[in-house]
Amino acid sequence: MPKWAMVFDLDKCTGCGACMAACKMENNVAIVDPEEAQAGRALFWMDMINAHEGEYPTVAIKRMPKPCFHCDNPPCTKVCPVRATYLNEDGLVAQIYHRCIGCRYCMAACPFTAKVFNWWDPRWLEGATTCFNPDVSLRMAGVVEKCSFCAHRLHHVNEVARVDDRALQDGEFMPACAENCPADAIYFGDLENKDSQVYKLSRSYRVSRVMEDLGVEPKVYYLARRTA
Amino acid sequence: MARIARAGIRFVILSVAGIVLVAVFIVVKSYSRARPSQPIEYNHKVHIENAGLNCLDCHVHAGDNVAATFPSLEVCRNCHNAEPVSKSAEELKVLKYVAEQKEIPWNQVYQVPDHVYFSHRRHVTVGKLECSVCHGDMKQQTAPVSVPYLAVTMDNCIKCHRERKITNDCLACHR
Repeated sequence: MPKWAMVFDLDKCTGCGACMAACKMENNVAIVDPEEAQAGRALFWMDMINAHEGEYPTVAIKRMPKPCFHCDNPPCTKVCPVRATYLNEDGLVAQIYHRCIGCRYCMAACPFTAKVFNWWDPRWLEGATTCFNPDVSLRMAGVVEKCSFCAHRLHHVNEVARVDDRALQDGEFMPACAENCPADAIYFGDLENKDSQVYKLSRSYRVSRVMEDLGVEPKVYYLARRTA
Repeated sequence: MARIARAGIRFVILSVAGIVLVAVFIVVKSYSRARPSQPIEYNHKVHIENAGLNCLDCHVHAGDNVAATFPSLEVCRNCHNAEPVSKSAEELKVLKYVAEQKEIPWNQVYQVPDHVYFSHRRHVTVGKLECSVCHGDMKQQTAPVSVPYLAVTMDNCIKCHRERKITNDCLACHR
């Protein structure tokens, strides 16, 4: 079984936010009012963590994109009372919106705050309703949502590969963020495939994972020469 | 005492009438939703038996796409142009659409909810299922179907997946 994983090369990442925008467009993620966003209710599947270092005029800005880490030992799935979130056999942490009852236990359990809650029904901008991605359903108020590693794209490429009667190639399944990164700082692939780029990068000397001591085994790796 | 009893009876009658009204409304509503009518009384039997057509001849994308799609006017025009090929009054309607170059507004009978990913390609080409498994024996249909042969319910999906040992992972169908 594949084990999908993502690698961010922070030495290449410019922090432009193209991944965030691509994710929003790809997954029909709702845009909330500025006041709501100020109250911490902004919906991001791909978030950006900002940090500043040093004082003016020698300020260093650190930006770190943060999707769902699709942990191999996910804490969120263990607390879900209705199995709306679970680890599937492809190693993806699934979120089934129509099963979710909105208790938000998973949000509390996630150490990376990767999950977001729909406090209201989404209010779409004018014209936005005509350009939804038809492969991703729209979420309603009262459900938790999060990055799916673009699982709908996996459906598609799997189907095409099976029609052609062949195995998936490395790089065939690409989430929207990785596809749109102008700095090519996002890599995506199968950790079980020893020839994949992601496997090689995951063994790099620069690699680290967020909060590794928790033992949740996140499948998102960060490459950086500098220490975080 | 009698006044209270009369008020009680009136309350019972009114509430029963209310319940009946609501029930009738729900039945009518669900009936009208479940039975879409078609612009043409299409006869599958004639097309399959007499004209020798296969499902994929008209529903051209059933094998290679997510949606099987309704036949476009182009497909109808291959046989129905200018001169009628039968004595059917329904065919004249087709010819009218062809003459006016207007697509026939077919109504969808099998509707999959927004949160479900259903792909014909996955079932027909990859899974090698016969169309009749879900759509019934269309060779016998002389009028347009108005109710799905196999109701689009998760129970039906899961039952078939279990029998054929196909994954029942939620993410395989839900999106």
